[in-house]
Amino acid sequence: MSISEHTTAAHALTFGQRGFLSRFGPSNRTMFPWVLMAPTLIILFAIGIYPFLYSLYIAGHNVILSKPYIPQYFVGLYQYQAVVQDPEFWHALRKTLLFTVQAVFIEFWLGLGLALLVQRQLQGVAFMRIFILIPMILPPLVAALVWRYMFYPGAGLMTYYVGAVTRALGLGEIPFLSDPVIAFQTLVFVDVWEWTPFMFLMLSAGLASIPRQPYEAAEIDGAGSWRVFWTITMPLLRPAILIAVIIRTMDAFRTYELIVIMTRGGPGNATTTLNVFLTKTGLEFFDASKAAALSLIMMMIIIVMSFVFIRVFRSKTEVAE
Amino acid sequence: MNVIKTTAALAAGLALWTLALPAHAQTEAQKALAGTTIHFLAPSMPQFAALVKFLPEFEQKYGIKVVVDEVPFENYRQKSLVEMQQGTGTYDFFAVDVMWLAEYAAAGFLEPLMPYVKNTDLTDADYDIDDFLPRVISGTGVFNDTLFTIPIGAGPVGTTFRTDVAEKAGFKLPERFSPEFTTQYMFDAAKKVNNPESNMIGFANIPGRWFWGVTYLPYLYAFQTPETKGDEYVDKDWKISINNERTVASIDYFTSFKQFMPSDSANWGIGEATAVYQAGNAFGTWNYQDFIKGFFEDPETQAKVAGKNVHLHTPVGPNGVIDPWFGAWSLGLSKDSKNKEATWTFIQWLTSKDIQARATQYGAGPSRHSTYKSETLAKYQPWWPGVYEFMLKETNPDERIRVPEWAEISDIMGEEGNRVWIGEIDSKTAAANMEKRMTEAMRKGGYYIPGRDDLPKQQWRDLTYYDRLPSTWN
Repeated sequence: MSISEHTTAAHALTFGQRGFLSRFGPSNRTMFPWVLMAPTLIILFAIGIYPFLYSLYIAGHNVILSKPYIPQYFVGLYQYQAVVQDPEFWHALRKTLLFTVQAVFIEFWLGLGLALLVQRQLQGVAFMRIFILIPMILPPLVAALVWRYMFYPGAGLMTYYVGAVTRALGLGEIPFLSDPVIAFQTLVFVDVWEWTPFMFLMLSAGLASIPRQPYEAAEIDGAGSWRVFWTITMPLLRPAILIAVIIRTMDAFRTYELIVIMTRGGPGNATTTLNVFLTKTGLEFFDASKAAALSLIMMMIIIVMSFVFIRVFRSKTEVAE
Repeated sequence: MNVIKTTAALAAGLALWTLALPAHAQTEAQKALAGTTIHFLAPSMPQFAALVKFLPEFEQKYGIKVVVDEVPFENYRQKSLVEMQQGTGTYDFFAVDVMWLAEYAAAGFLEPLMPYVKNTDLTDADYDIDDFLPRVISGTGVFNDTLFTIPIGAGPVGTTFRTDVAEKAGFKLPERFSPEFTTQYMFDAAKKVNNPESNMIGFANIPGRWFWGVTYLPYLYAFQTPETKGDEYVDKDWKISINNERTVASIDYFTSFKQFMPSDSANWGIGEATAVYQAGNAFGTWNYQDFIKGFFEDPETQAKVAGKNVHLHTPVGPNGVIDPWFGAWSLGLSKDSKNKEATWTFIQWLTSKDIQARATQYGAGPSRHSTYKSETLAKYQPWWPGVYEFMLKETNPDERIRVPEWAEISDIMGEEGNRVWIGEIDSKTAAANMEKRMTEAMRKGGYYIPGRDDLPKQQWRDLTYYDRLPSTWN
C-alpha cells in the first residue's frame, strides 16, 4: 500500500466517522452517549430496577402465591404495617443485629491482628497468608455443611473432641446446636472462621498502602508502638476499614446459608434472623407481599446503617486530617 | 383321538399365547404415546425409591420415558409449589403429601383425574378404582368432591421398640392396638431400660422444630377425651381451640422424654433419631408405616436392629383415645402438563394391582384391598396386614386438618413446642402462643370474614363422607 493509499484510507475513515457522528447532528449529539450506554442500562433496568419496582408493586398488594384464588387488590402500606406489627419481625431483627455486630466486631479485630502480623514479614508468612485465606475460598454452602457435620450430635468431630475434654472436666456434653445461646454463638464462631480472611485481605491491602514516612518520623520522635498504632496506623487505615466494615456488615446482615443449613432458625426461634424469617414468609408460606415489604424494610435498614458508617468515618477522618 | 389331540394342542397354544401377553395389553391410544418423555418431581423417600425400580419396565413396555427429579423432603413443598405456581409445565406430575392436597387443589394446580380413570382408551381394563380403600383414596386424593390424586401408599404413624431389650429388662411388649399400650406404659417402659452409660436411651424422640407437625400430633390426639375428639385445632366455627389443658398435658408428656435423651437433642429430626435407633442405642423411636422396611427391617443396612423390632401404634391416651393418624403420598397430574395422556398412562400403570403388589417387596406401602391381601406384602412386610382394619374403619384423613393454612399451623406448633423442649417457655405459654398465632393465620386465610357463608365443611365430624365408593367421586 502506497503513502497516498494510506492517506486516502485514513481520510475515508475520518470522513466515515464524521459521517456517522454527523447522523446525530448538533441537536442529536447528546443522544450518542445514551446509545453507547443503552445495553448496560437495559441490563441494569432488567436485573436491578425492574425487580425493585416490581417488589414495590407486590408489597402494595396482597399476593399469596399458593392462593391464586384470593382476589388481588391494592392495600397501600398494609404489608409494611403487618411486618412491623409482627413480633417475629422484631425478634428476628434483634437476632440479626446481634449476629452482625458480634461477627463483624470479632472479624475486624482478628483480621487486623493477622494483617499486622503478616506485615512484619516473619518467616513462613507467605504460607500463612495462603492458609488464612482458605476458609474464604470455600463456598458458604460447603462451609456450612462442613461445620454442620463437625457439630453433628454424638458423631461430629467438634462434638466428639470438645465433648471428650468437657466430660473429663466434669462439664458434660456441650449442646452446640441445641442450646439457644450456644447455638447462636456457634453460628457467630463459624461466620468468624469463614470471613475473618476477608477482613485480613482488605486490611492487609490498606496497610500496604500506608506510606513509610510517618512511621520514620514517629521513630525519630521516639513514639512507642502502641502510640504509633493509634495515631498513625489506625487513622491512615480508616478508608480501608470503612470499606471492609461496610461490606462485611451488609453481608453478615444477610447471612442465610450458614443459618439455614446449621440450625434452620432453631432451636425454637433462637437463630431466626431476618433472612430466615423472610424465606419462611416468602417461600414456605408463599406470602409474596409481606415478604416483599420485609425485603424492602431490610434494604432500608442496610442503607441507613451504611449511611451512618460513612458519616461517622468521614467525620473522624476529617478530624484526623 | 384326533379331536382330543387337536383340542389339547389348541388349549396348550392358547395357554402359551396368554402367558406371552403382557399383564395389560396396550390400547391404540397408549401405543400412540410412545416416544414421549414425562417429568416427575418427588421427594427422596424410601417409598419413591421402591417405585423408581419399576421405571425401566414401564419404559420398555410403553415407550414412554420417565425422568425423575428427587428433592430432599425438607425442600420438597417449596420446590413443588414454586414449580406449580410458575405454570411452565416443567413437571408433568408431582408427589403430593396428604396435607398439601388442599393447598395444591384449591389453587388449581392439579388436574381432576376421574375423567382419565373412566377413559378406557388410556386406562387398563383391570385398573379397578374401587379396589382402593375408600378412606385411603378419598382421604388422600379428594378435594371438594373431586379426585385429584391417586395414592401410592398410606399408613399410620407408630412406634418401634426393641423386643430383645425389653426381654432383657424382664418384660414383654404388647401387640399392636393393645389397650395395654398406654402413654403411661410407654413412659414407664422407656424409663425402665434407659441407661445412657451403656449407650441405651429409653426413647429417641423427635423434638426438632420442623417435625412437631408429624411427631407430636399423635400425643395431642391421645390426650383428648371422647367428647373433645375433633376439636383438637378448631371448633365447629373454625375458631382455633388449641389453648386448653389437654394440649398442655400432651406437650408436657412429649417433652418428658427429654430426660432420656442427650443434651444436644433439641434439633433431632427423623434422621438423627432413626440413626441412633439403627445403631442399637435406643430402646424405642417414632415410625411411619411406610418407612419401616427401609428404616428398621433391612438386614443389610440395619444389621443391629433388623428382626428384633416390634412395631406398635402410638399409645392410648389417659382417656382411652388413640390417634387415628392418616399419612399418605399420592401422584397428582399437573394442570400445566403438556403430556397429560402419557402421564396418566404412567400413573395408572404404577398404581395398578400388579405393580402395587410387586412394589411392596421393595418397601412401598399398600393402598388397595388386593395389595393388603397379597402374598408379597405378607412375605416382605408382615407388619402391614395388621393395620388393614384400622385403615378401613378407624383412620381419619383429617386427623391433621387439611386446610391450605396447615403449613403455617404446623410451623407455629413446631416453633412453640420446641421452645418448651429447650426450656425457653412453659407448655401453658406455648399453648397460648399457638392459639394466638394460629388464629392470625386463619384470619389471614379469610376464615373470619364477617358474613362469610362458604367455609369448607368439617368432614372429620362425620367420617362416612370418606367411605364413599372411590368410583363415585367426580
